[in-house]
Amino acid sequence: MKKCAAILMAAVTAAAAFLGGCSGGGTSSSGQGSVQHVRLMVWAPSEDQSIDSGQWLQKSCDAFAALHPEYDIEFIYGVADEASAASQVAQDPEASADVFMYANDNITTLTNAKAAAKFGGIYREQIESTSSQAIVDSVTLDGYLYGVPFTTNTWYMFYDKSVFTEEDVKSLDAMLEKGVVSFPFTNSWYLPAFYVGNGCTLFGDGTDEAAGVDFAGDKAVAITDYLVDLLANPNFVVDSDGSGMAGLRDGSIKAIFTGSWDAANIRDILGDNMGVAAPPTFMLNGEEKQMMAYAGSKAIGVNATSDYMLPAIQLAIYLGSAEAQQLHYELRNVVPCNTELLARPEVANDMLVAAQNDTFDRTSILQPFVAAMSNCWSPVENMGKGIRNKTVTHDNAAEQTQAMNDAMNSNGIS
Amino acid sequence: MKETRVASAKRKRFINNTIVHIVLAILAVVWVFPILWVVLTSFRAEKGSYVSTFFPKSYTLANYARLFTDTTILNFPKMFGNTLFIAICSCILSTFYVLSVSYCLSRIKFKMRKPYMNMAMVLGLFPGFMSMVAVYFILKALGLSEGGLIRLALILCYSGGAGLGFQIAKGFFDTVPRAIDEAALIDGCTRWQIFYKITLPLSKPVIIYTVLTSFIGPWVDFIFAKVICRANADYYTVAIGLWRMLEKEYIDSWYTCFAAGAVLISIPIAALFMFLQRFYVDGMSGAVKG
Repeated sequence: MKKCAAILMAAVTAAAAFLGGCSGGGTSSSGQGSVQHVRLMVWAPSEDQSIDSGQWLQKSCDAFAALHPEYDIEFIYGVADEASAASQVAQDPEASADVFMYANDNITTLTNAKAAAKFGGIYREQIESTSSQAIVDSVTLDGYLYGVPFTTNTWYMFYDKSVFTEEDVKSLDAMLEKGVVSFPFTNSWYLPAFYVGNGCTLFGDGTDEAAGVDFAGDKAVAITDYLVDLLANPNFVVDSDGSGMAGLRDGSIKAIFTGSWDAANIRDILGDNMGVAAPPTFMLNGEEKQMMAYAGSKAIGVNATSDYMLPAIQLAIYLGSAEAQQLHYELRNVVPCNTELLARPEVANDMLVAAQNDTFDRTSILQPFVAAMSNCWSPVENMGKGIRNKTVTHDNAAEQTQAMNDAMNSNGIS
Repeated sequence: MKETRVASAKRKRFINNTIVHIVLAILAVVWVFPILWVVLTSFRAEKGSYVSTFFPKSYTLANYARLFTDTTILNFPKMFGNTLFIAICSCILSTFYVLSVSYCLSRIKFKMRKPYMNMAMVLGLFPGFMSMVAVYFILKALGLSEGGLIRLALILCYSGGAGLGFQIAKGFFDTVPRAIDEAALIDGCTRWQIFYKITLPLSKPVIIYTVLTSFIGPWVDFIFAKVICRANADYYTVAIGLWRMLEKEYIDSWYTCFAAGAVLISIPIAALFMFLQRFYVDGMSGAVKG
């Protein structure tokens, strides 16, 4: 018995010493003037790390390390794409990356888990001075800035230049006269473009949760009626489950709506005939209206529980800097958002960059990231499916539109 | 008169059989259809996730080749290896657990026997992933959530709860006559010797069943692998890899490879079954005489 107790005591002491050693390790090495040992875990999508696409992450991190001789940095790379990184970090912030890349619509996931560090002082000024106000707003919540934006995230139009002229692509009606256009009608990231184009609003300016969604009244019913007619147009095809891309490939479809992630595949299909443009206008009862896409951004976030906060913030700033954005653009065609970089002719003349930024600046609204936004996806999707299945018709358009609006303003419980 | 009755009975049977066979044929087609479609898609040469024809316009093996050559973004061979390793280890461990627990519950009388069986029954009613978050934090506290130990963590996850799934094997052991055990006992066998020298050789069907189910569990699991692997791409399992191929960035170029991957992961299970099915005969024949 005594022996057991002695062994137990020894084990406890050893464990305590071990734990003590761990927690002390970080601080003891940060002596004044000496080189500080830093362990930074960085998460990025696998394309940023693969040899085939140029290892943007490794190159940028190495460049950062070279710029900061005061740190002896050990990088640990992990794979998490922008869409899923926020939920991964929120699952367990302490065991997550110090620096990660996330899509701005997940910002509330991060802040609810208290996982995102706020950028302030000189770092905030630096970000604000190199990005447009709209893009800074996309990563700002309640006045706090939660990341370094490095690209915009939205959808626009890819078309076959041999069918449509640059003049045609400004108007959906002109396009429908000349060739087959496919639109993700049943996808609620795309369909609201028509409603928003006719003055429907989400949460006031997008941040006022109490204001609710206004997809009701004559302005919305007019769109539902318009969409019923649009679907009846023989030159309009619904794009679902990749059918738009397949149509582009076999030549039956001449224009589709998607984003930069499909650009490389579309270039393979259309070659030099690939055209890219912001979403077009459409004629509603004799008036010209502009389709308005949802837009967001992708940003580099810093973990609020990071042990090495200062180097992590500096690394995030570097990964979002003009230099890193340029490398990102050269290696992977990631559209930059740094204002100095966009002013350079070789970037400004790129069709894809121009279209994406035109969409962001002119034909989009900032996708709201208030919590109630999560109620807005299914009702719109159901509306699109209803119109496609012909259960929504001119006769019940008013009633169905009101039902959609009610559903968007309700969480389905209360 | 009699002949007509026979003839009409024959006709009736013929009609009945025809209807039954038609219904069965339709059901068989419905059942095989998705599998056939996945196999056809895996050989499809046209790219993209959407096709307008059921049969591919041209066939290729490139989808399979790409899975094993284009490994910089989605490293399929590595994921396949990880999954195989994890599945084999958990299969061995859980088979051992299940058989041992079942044998004890079938043969040994002890106080906690009934309460244990009831508790296992109740625990078995809850879906395993309910404990997912707790399991993750326990593994993290033990330091198993980083690096190569992730494999160990997954093996522990998949085999740890195996002892609760004893019902079928225990039912089988109950049918093995006690007379055999007693005879062995008289000949000087210990309990352990009775277990592995007498009972196990007589229980091949249930061993096969246990091996198959405990291999398939980790082989196809997605939830635990996703929660535990997180950003450690080196330890991803096949299920995560296949899921990633369907994300919007990859789906257009990886869709046919996804189908090829789906065909490939069915191979180890099919091979295991084919190898083991010959033992699926009655292991009891000739055990007790008279």
